[in-house]
Amino acid sequence: MTSPTLRGVLAAALAALGPAARADTVNFDMSGKIYTKYMYQNDATQGCLSISNPFWVDNIGGHNGACTEFELNVKARVGPKVEAGVRLQSRWGAMWQDWWENGDLKPGVSDTSGESLGMNHAQYIKLRAAWIRAAPPIPTVKWITVGSTDYSMWNEWTIGKARYIDRDNGDGVFVEGDVLPGRRLSYTFGAMAMPKLWAGPGWKTGLKDNDPLAGLYGTDWAFAAKIESRPFADLRLKLIGAYLKDWEADKYSPMLTGPPDAARGADHSVALSTRFRGVNATLEGFYTPSWVDWLAVTGLLAASSNYVNPEYATNLVRNGQGFSPVVFRTDSQGRAVASEALAGKVLVELFDPWQKGLSFKLEYFNIGSEYNAVMGSRREADVLLTDGIIAGGFTRGGQLPTLNIANEFQDWDEPWYESCIGWNGATALLELVRGPLKSTLEYTYIGYNTNMQGRDVKNQFPDFLYTNGFTDTTAFTADSDYANVYDRGKDPRSVYAEFQDRRTHLAVLNVQYLLPRLPGAVLGLKGKYIDDHDGRIRSNPNDDYHGKSWLGMATLTLQPTNELKTLLGYEYSRWKEDKRNGSETLGFTDSKTYRHTAHVGMTYAFGGALFGYTLEYFHKDLLRVRPLVDMKWNVWRAKATFEAAW
Amino acid sequence: MNARTIRWFLAAALLAGSALPAAAKDPAATCKPDGGLKVSDPVGDDNGPGTYTYPTDAVYKPGSFDLTEFEVVPSGNKVEFRVTVKSRIEDPWDSQAWGGNGFSVQMVFVHIDTDHKAGSGVREGLPGTNVRFAADEAWDRVVIISPQGPTRVNSEIGQKCPQWKDRIIVPEITRASGRTLIAVVDKAALGGAPAPGWGYQVLMQSNEGFPAKTDLLTRKVNEFEGQHRFGGGTDYDNDPQVMDILVPAGGDPVKKQHEILSKYNKAATTDVKPEDLAVVPMVYPCAD
Repeated sequence: MTSPTLRGVLAAALAALGPAARADTVNFDMSGKIYTKYMYQNDATQGCLSISNPFWVDNIGGHNGACTEFELNVKARVGPKVEAGVRLQSRWGAMWQDWWENGDLKPGVSDTSGESLGMNHAQYIKLRAAWIRAAPPIPTVKWITVGSTDYSMWNEWTIGKARYIDRDNGDGVFVEGDVLPGRRLSYTFGAMAMPKLWAGPGWKTGLKDNDPLAGLYGTDWAFAAKIESRPFADLRLKLIGAYLKDWEADKYSPMLTGPPDAARGADHSVALSTRFRGVNATLEGFYTPSWVDWLAVTGLLAASSNYVNPEYATNLVRNGQGFSPVVFRTDSQGRAVASEALAGKVLVELFDPWQKGLSFKLEYFNIGSEYNAVMGSRREADVLLTDGIIAGGFTRGGQLPTLNIANEFQDWDEPWYESCIGWNGATALLELVRGPLKSTLEYTYIGYNTNMQGRDVKNQFPDFLYTNGFTDTTAFTADSDYANVYDRGKDPRSVYAEFQDRRTHLAVLNVQYLLPRLPGAVLGLKGKYIDDHDGRIRSNPNDDYHGKSWLGMATLTLQPTNELKTLLGYEYSRWKEDKRNGSETLGFTDSKTYRHTAHVGMTYAFGGALFGYTLEYFHKDLLRVRPLVDMKWNVWRAKATFEAAW
Repeated sequence: MNARTIRWFLAAALLAGSALPAAAKDPAATCKPDGGLKVSDPVGDDNGPGTYTYPTDAVYKPGSFDLTEFEVVPSGNKVEFRVTVKSRIEDPWDSQAWGGNGFSVQMVFVHIDTDHKAGSGVREGLPGTNVRFAADEAWDRVVIISPQGPTRVNSEIGQKCPQWKDRIIVPEITRASGRTLIAVVDKAALGGAPAPGWGYQVLMQSNEGFPAKTDLLTRKVNEFEGQHRFGGGTDYDNDPQVMDILVPAGGDPVKKQHEILSKYNKAATTDVKPEDLAVVPMVYPCAD
């Protein structure tokens, strides 16, 4: 075919496709991304996700494999005041070795060829997000959004921003607007579908296969409102209220308990009963005085109330070894009542007041023993200034006011989060920034509103079974260690114990120094000391837990070329814990832990593609008193990522 | 430590703070013989030509893009560029997780005119800013203060404006402290120590990790604000995509900024030419 003929055929084909692109699709925007990850560890697991869901085997977690995902975003301006968007993404979990995988796993049929491991390995493209946003001519209304969202308009103490991998999973209807100009008074209202997984008692809002008392989740909603005001230039106020409602079909409804006989009161309708009701509210204030530019004061007051109806929610404190994201509170008569608490914090910041590079921050926090944001942020946020207990050297961390923290579906190089429910204390932080040096020095004291003697952890307060010891996030795995057989310490969600009389001191020094003569060479140092004491039964001096943890870390970052950045680091940690393991009846024994971690990493960016590689080796010795055995870890692991977006 | 002790501690800290000397509020520039300088910018002008609004997502806190002070601090063979905004600089997207510099939403371009001569330097703005410079105020160097790690910034430069690669400086270290972004740059990269006659223009933008194909990690300004889009401009690449800038001394600085950033060709919706874009001035705070 000659060129003119080809051009003619092409032109005809194009003409047949329809008219030229309309002018109003000028903002039609598509973007794509390919993300590939390779993982290695000297163990016998396979997959591309270090810590998958620990509760059941979902066959995507493991430490050896290479996996790829693809994402396509489409956004369009439908009209002058209407826009819409979708996100399509392939399912994560298929390894490159998953040859011919199509997801057709047949229940009850033995798959001897290994042809299918099910849809988790099939890389099907899934609609992850769809939303429409419109600005109708309604007084005060700026936007109405219908569809997917990450809940980022609220806060960690009420309904928190969804973690990044869940960023489009939430759907709802949102209205936002201004009552007064200049943002002096604005509002946001939202009605959101409650996630059937994780957002209620037993991490569910109604799944009959999982909770025989509950089977309805399509009626469950969360409602929230935010009012923001700027009464004068120096002060901003933000009031947020959230109301969570998990409904179940009324089990006494005549339509469900017998024949549709009008005489029985059956009228082809079914009433609803409350399974769970959660209320969270916060008032935040931000004061930045115009008369001095080095001072800022922020404060937050919060309240929570969570009620669980035991007729419709299985008590997992009683039936699940204390693993429950909510408190099953009862009064002295044994009747179910709401679990309620207040929380507050104040942060005073002095930004370099002497013009010498020296800044100062002081935070007071007091979080009630039963404060719980059931739909608060589960990770990837941090409500306190302190480095916290859980953060280490290479493994970072944060604190959140919920029992619903999620340290799962993550890799070994990602941060860990701990619950700060009941924390009561203060953090003082000095920061020095001068030329090539940046340094911070922190001291934190944590008292515990959860301190109590004889707390009911059998029926009311979840203790997550593991209440003692520093959590070793470096060696944490979710496979055979789900039952804590490797003695990894306290569950990061655990805030309640039957007997607790605890206090913690914490000191952290961070240094970052730009080295002379070596371009882009930065030396990083971190030192951390924790002194954690729990008297347990006050009258028993022989059961006192006393943990001391020391951490030292040094890193060197180099940038040999514009495209390449490298990191070399070493961390030494040791923690000595008196009376860590055991029980009140059998007595407690001591343990010591030593860990050396070496870490190298690099990123290479070129022409829009980004390559990252991290290799880590750690050696850990856990020394315990007989009959408990000592344990040793010699672990090599690596993670490589390669991504391109366009 | 009981609650009473903590209350005393807080009160003492506040009292100690109130006794400290207040920072100078003089809007005029402070100049030093070594080329160091400090320039103030009005509070509340983080609205570009007067109409721009912040994205609706909660991470864009009021004042996040309100430039209040710009400082050049030479020291040894390094120069620190310090850009202060009205609000505390936060890191809501955990920049450490993506090799970043400890903050998330801000992005600053510090343009430098070292010779104040026509025919020297670059008149175009960096991709995504949609501004240009006058002939005798063209920039010779630009320092990018980005939360993105240096390899990502360099990669974007290589893709989107390789012709200016030698003039664009990615700092040796970029960090945030309080309300201030700090970039440390080698004097050699600037072509020498800062001189009193140098001109500067600081363009306040926002870091966009998923930028448009032609934008250098900059966030778009649209007609209506979105969750991650500024509003109050146009949906085309004719409006200046900057929230705050420095303006020369004299007159009402806010009004001046609004006038400067309003002067673009609103009719140029497609095939936008350089002459359609707003011209931002260089500021020579210490020139004779």
